[in-house]
Amino acid sequence: MLKFLYNFISSPKIFVYTVLWLMILVFFGTLAQKDIGLYASQMKYFSSYIFLFYDYIPLPGGRVTLLLMTLNLSSSLFRKTLWKIKKIGVIILHIGGLLLLLGGGVTAIFSSEGNMVIEEGGKVDYTDDYHRMELCFVNLSLQDSLEYTVFDEELLVEGNTISYDKLGLEIDIISRIKNTRIQNRITEVDSVYKGFLKQFVLLPKEPEKENTQNRPSLIFRIRGSKNNADGIYGLFLGQKDLDIFNFKNEKFFSEFRKERTYLPFSIELLDFKKVLHPGTQVAKSFSSEINLIENEIPRRVLIQMNEPLRHMGYTFFQASFIEELKSESTVLAVVKNYGRLFPYISSIIMSIGLLVHLIINLPKMIKKNNSIKA
Amino acid sequence: MRFFKTLLILVFLIPLQSAYSFTVGDIPIQDEGRIKPLDTYARNYLLAFYGKRSIPELDLSATDWLLDLILDPAKGKNQKIFNIRNPEVVSSIFLDWSTDHKYSFNQVLPGLKKQTSLLKLIDDKPANTRTVFEKQLLELSLNIMRFEEISYLKSLKLIPSEISENHEEWISPFEFILNGIKPNEYQSKILNALQQYLASRMENDFIIMKSSLVDYEVALKSIPKNLFDIDNLKKERWLNQTNLFYISLAFYILSFMILGFNWMTRITFTRRISYALLLIGFFAHSYGIILRMIIMNRPPVSTLYESVLFVSFIVLLFAIILEYFRKDGLGIFIGAIGGSVFHFIGFGYAADGDTLNMLVAVLNSNFWLATHVTTITMGYGASLVAGFIGHLFLVESLRKSNDKAYLKSIFNSMFGVTLVALFFTLFGTILGGIWADQSWGRFWGWDPKENGALLIVLWQLMIIHMRLSGLAKPVDFALGMALNNIIVALAWFGVNLLQVGLHSYGFDDGVAKNLFIFIGFELIFSLGMYYLSKNNLKNELST
Repeated sequence: MLKFLYNFISSPKIFVYTVLWLMILVFFGTLAQKDIGLYASQMKYFSSYIFLFYDYIPLPGGRVTLLLMTLNLSSSLFRKTLWKIKKIGVIILHIGGLLLLLGGGVTAIFSSEGNMVIEEGGKVDYTDDYHRMELCFVNLSLQDSLEYTVFDEELLVEGNTISYDKLGLEIDIISRIKNTRIQNRITEVDSVYKGFLKQFVLLPKEPEKENTQNRPSLIFRIRGSKNNADGIYGLFLGQKDLDIFNFKNEKFFSEFRKERTYLPFSIELLDFKKVLHPGTQVAKSFSSEINLIENEIPRRVLIQMNEPLRHMGYTFFQASFIEELKSESTVLAVVKNYGRLFPYISSIIMSIGLLVHLIINLPKMIKKNNSIKA
Repeated sequence: MRFFKTLLILVFLIPLQSAYSFTVGDIPIQDEGRIKPLDTYARNYLLAFYGKRSIPELDLSATDWLLDLILDPAKGKNQKIFNIRNPEVVSSIFLDWSTDHKYSFNQVLPGLKKQTSLLKLIDDKPANTRTVFEKQLLELSLNIMRFEEISYLKSLKLIPSEISENHEEWISPFEFILNGIKPNEYQSKILNALQQYLASRMENDFIIMKSSLVDYEVALKSIPKNLFDIDNLKKERWLNQTNLFYISLAFYILSFMILGFNWMTRITFTRRISYALLLIGFFAHSYGIILRMIIMNRPPVSTLYESVLFVSFIVLLFAIILEYFRKDGLGIFIGAIGGSVFHFIGFGYAADGDTLNMLVAVLNSNFWLATHVTTITMGYGASLVAGFIGHLFLVESLRKSNDKAYLKSIFNSMFGVTLVALFFTLFGTILGGIWADQSWGRFWGWDPKENGALLIVLWQLMIIHMRLSGLAKPVDFALGMALNNIIVALAWFGVNLLQVGLHSYGFDDGVAKNLFIFIGFELIFSLGMYYLSKNNLKNELST
């Protein structure tokens, strides 16, 4: 039974079928990007274990397929027929391939990414997640410090009630809008609306294909303050003038922002530079001159296209920029990936393997009239 | 041996072009972010206005046309230089449809002026929502503007600006007058030489024309900073004039014709002639690519056009190696057909204007262009060669189903080339991942271009493993590699049509139609041949 199972899982046929399935996934996953955007399609087809075809039929996703391929490849390495000196190239090649798949697994599970937006002259010590949001309350009334209370993405679901125990408040999430249109109110409103919502309404609009281009917003009701802070509040991503409220004689403001991950060091943007090819609007290069500040000691670093900064396991890439009237901001992509060396190592191993195999076998193959089996 | 001899000759040829004397076509001009010879500049604009790179009817080269326009704008504006092929555009600017499709500046301008509000409306529309008519009308109005700017020297950025850190933009003679810029030493030298040249040209004084060009070159050499290489300008002008890729195409076609003759007569000697012709074409082809690399100081592939040139170079390289080992015309056949087809595709891309463009920031890295892009393009080339052999195998297995040894030898060649193809596509893809890791922070992002390359790799892995595990017979393998061409075409041109992701920098409207025709043809041909040869096999077994 075990032997049968082993023979089954290590058979090249399994490989052929998983590859075939992966190709189907890749093909449709790529086409789907035109309609649902890159991120959504990646989540559905490639980063999933199982996905639903037409909402009902469960099919194996990219992860299951690649996992099966890894099992197949690693078990096939134990086949006795493989271990011959003639096949040394093939063996090396497959070990390299296995490493590549394992590296993919490590990256898929352990890597994290986000971005960092820094204005010229500004200093930032956290990264923003691309997709996850958080609701944050900041207490301004403490002496020489700020107190942050943060509610995670998982809590911010429509209909959910969060208890803010410290203040004895209840927060009902009324609505979570994916992409928001902000409109002026024309008529006077009920006093139940507080702050920004007194003058504006937050309305949903057609979400963009790429999630990062959306402006999400959150509408929630606060109960239990036992003063006039009870009411309905609205916040959107990137809001500039945040309303300040009083809860139990302490001043607070709240913010709906991208989920932050704090770093053990901070980065200060000294100068962002965009160079165009002369006489055109085509960019020749982007670069950010920064100070990497650790234990209050700054170190000057230049980050540019194809030349990232690597520090303490994090890598900072020049990803984009924001140009405003008075200031420029740089957008750095920040990645922490434990699997990043795998492709480097495995590609070296694989190229050695394939080269060895080609050197041994190729001359026999392309000559006319020979009897050696390919 | 012959290969090395010719290579040696070519290597000696490269410095030769710099020994040419400085001509008016070599004058450096800054345009679209690049310092290029005046010859290239004139050709590109003439191509944009007139649809050709010279005016054969008047026996005028592009540079001559440009200089004539500058010296006598009044005459130039009456020259029928604008090629308008859309009757809608013609009638919208109140002109009568003429069969030669040619109109002069003075004919077009009044009509365009009446359509100012329409043009404004089109200009405000997002580019992807404009109709063909709107695009062409807008393009025409831009061309009219460019034409006028050339006619009074405004857009001719001929004079290097004062050497300083931030100011790289060159200055046109017009701007000197308009802004009252006082020229510095080398600027006034250049301006004087230019003035002298133009004045003597007006009077057809060839001796002074020549001497003023000598002055011009001296003036250029007196610029303290090394802004451009005069030899490269000469090389580029030479490349423009010789049309190396037309030469290589001619030899490939000729080689194919002689090969046909060889098939009919079976005289070995003719096969050798055909092989030699293929080699000569290949040298012209390679020389063109090498020159382009020297001029731009960049690896062979950085644009879609260059990828076409380079893929066909790789196809030819494989074909020549195959022929060297097999000596039966198979390699010549693949090379001549592949080379010719890709040359025609390439000419299609070259019709857009300058083919030596500057690159956007993320591509601006010689190291990665040299490793990833070159490797993956070699992979495309090798895959296509394997695909060609696949087609051939399908045909031959029908024609010569009894000659098992012959079929086997073709199969072995195909298998070998497939392994080489896999080597390049696999490592090209991994190197691409490593580049992405270096510049975007992720090794793999399921971006369409990445997925396209992955599809080729997976398909080849699958076909090879099917053959090794006995799931596929040689004829099945041949079908697999023939269909691999479709995947290569999709990965190469098709993904750009999706217009998503970080790689979509090579979009083209007309590609979609050609792509579908190609896929349809491949499907019908390969599956049809496969079906017939399978049938054939069955009949053989039953009789």
